[in-house]
Amino acid sequence: MARRVRLVGLIAVFLVIFLPSFTLAQDINLGVSPAEVRIDDLPPGETAEFELTIHNKDELAHVFTFTTFQPPEEERREGMAEFPDDSWISFSCPEIEMLANSEANVTVTVVIPREQKWASQDWEAWLGVAAESSDLLGVTLYVRMLMSTSATMKARSSAGLFAGIAVAIVLLGYNGYYYLRRKTNPE
Amino acid sequence: MKAVITSIVAAILLALIFSLPALAQESSTITITMTGANEISISLDKTQWPLGNVASNTEYETSPPIEWCTLTVAGNCNVNTFIVGDDAKWVANPGAYKWTLSSDGTNGEQIYGLWFRISGDTTRGPLGDGYVPVTKTQGEFWPYSGGSGSSLAPGDTEKFGFRLLTPTYFISGRQMQTQITISAVAA
Repeated sequence: MARRVRLVGLIAVFLVIFLPSFTLAQDINLGVSPAEVRIDDLPPGETAEFELTIHNKDELAHVFTFTTFQPPEEERREGMAEFPDDSWISFSCPEIEMLANSEANVTVTVVIPREQKWASQDWEAWLGVAAESSDLLGVTLYVRMLMSTSATMKARSSAGLFAGIAVAIVLLGYNGYYYLRRKTNPE
Repeated sequence: MKAVITSIVAAILLALIFSLPALAQESSTITITMTGANEISISLDKTQWPLGNVASNTEYETSPPIEWCTLTVAGNCNVNTFIVGDDAKWVANPGAYKWTLSSDGTNGEQIYGLWFRISGDTTRGPLGDGYVPVTKTQGEFWPYSGGSGSSLAPGDTEKFGFRLLTPTYFISGRQMQTQITISAVAA
């Protein structure tokens, strides 16, 4: 009898409830467009903006979250290098709640720092759109973002500013000279 | 005196005319032209696997084992798909207790193994039986390196199932939950 009790106790120790969550939803269906975004000749120092459209094709509302992902080399397009810094990519909102059978847009902004070392580069990053779920299986869709930077950086356009200041100094100087001359020689 | 004031105003206006466009250029944003305005979309017809109580060091398979869930490609572009798993966490207190997901499908104390198999795939995986470990590093789902399969086209389906190998030892009576993510990117 004591052995049987010990055996039952031992079995109880090694039992656990695994994944018993239950909801009515048993499927997931979503889409994102475009599937690929190509940004050509972006000068370092410039900002690029574009929109992704999320399609919630489920009969249930979902919260979608947005992330960036660095694909391994074998998954990148030929000639594309790893995107240097995820923090250069931002989404207009970190997540969005969508009703069943609805669409929504999210704006993606890419800012490349104004440094010569980022000129003439070809990079690839994946933009992930995931439906939040507590189920065992989840889905993430990736949009390929292919970006090339131009050979030259965006120049700081300060030439016009300096020209304006120079013109102002010349004119003010001339005014001062004219005013003093008239003051000393009223005739 | 009137001429002097008029000259000063003219000088300021001239300076502004030259410098304002220069200042405005500092915050310019370029417009992106997107190519490949396709929609990427996949669906899963099942997302839950409620196992109930499980014993230690025991294998559990979905039912049916390799045709438990169907992945369907929608949208209008071909896709490559991937899979990634995670640790199983205690539902009541996710930060306090977990089972670590094994990196090779084997188990240990508080370490569990998870495998997937795609229907019709009989030779894939380390054991050559079609089963492939799910790990915390995103891996190929379909197609895969060394396989003869190609990217999935719109309308294509893949049926698959899972095998769970529970830890050799775990704390009983705790409800555990994990998530497996299937992802897709334009091929």
